[in-house]
Amino acid sequence: MWAGRVDEGFVFGDLTEEVVQTLRGVPMLIESSDERVRSRLLPETCAEQQDEEHWREHAVPELERLFLSRATLVRRDLELLRKLPKSENYVLLVTHQHVNAWVAALNAARLALFALNDLTAEHMETEGFSGASAKQQEAIVRISLLAELQAVLLGDFEAPDDDGEPFFPDPVGDYD
Amino acid sequence: MKVHAATKEQTETETSAKTSLASPWNVIVHDDPVTLMGYVTKVFERVFGYSESKAHRLMMEVHKTGRSVVWTGAREQAEMYAQKLQSHHLLTTLEKVED
Repeated sequence: MWAGRVDEGFVFGDLTEEVVQTLRGVPMLIESSDERVRSRLLPETCAEQQDEEHWREHAVPELERLFLSRATLVRRDLELLRKLPKSENYVLLVTHQHVNAWVAALNAARLALFALNDLTAEHMETEGFSGASAKQQEAIVRISLLAELQAVLLGDFEAPDDDGEPFFPDPVGDYD
Repeated sequence: MKVHAATKEQTETETSAKTSLASPWNVIVHDDPVTLMGYVTKVFERVFGYSESKAHRLMMEVHKTGRSVVWTGAREQAEMYAQKLQSHHLLTTLEKVED
């Protein structure tokens, strides 16, 4: 895999079928209804039950909508994956407007893989890898792969806007 | 007129008392073994407008001690910050500051 900047954003090239399969899993992971994933992406936030209920009522629905809109955006971008002439591998374009959504979506997918495969902090260390099951090792490789893409895109992660533009606007229209 | 003035004064006193009694809230970010350190720093810069050095210091505190109080203040604003941090998937909780 290689990555490069173009006028429109970032291009990731030479993506093998395995890498593409991992990327196609990103929106599905974000949308997972598995309790382990949901409790990590929408964690308990307040110690007091009354405060937690207030949080669940007022903050969580907006977060859920935002996550789903990111999943939709990533899925749409992945539909544009193309093979280069005379190549079996794919090329992905992530435009500047979509970078923030992609960075967060990749993080969510990495966290979901971690939760779904019952991984621990020790597994993520070099020494811990050998102690993981084959399925867990595959998940760790996918987590690392998505981190590579995330690290590239972080170079374009936006700083706060000087003009006071809201950071958390309408989630549905956020990245369109 | 006298009654009205007394009522207004009483209301102001009650409002002031309520304001002074409202405890501040801590926004706490917890460590996780997956999220990239550089990402955490960038999110702190973006959400709070912190300088790179302050954001990096807070990120290192999260990494080394397992958690960091990244902001303290009024409940409504603390909730807004917690929501922004969770929108980026940082493991975030809210805690009322006890007197």
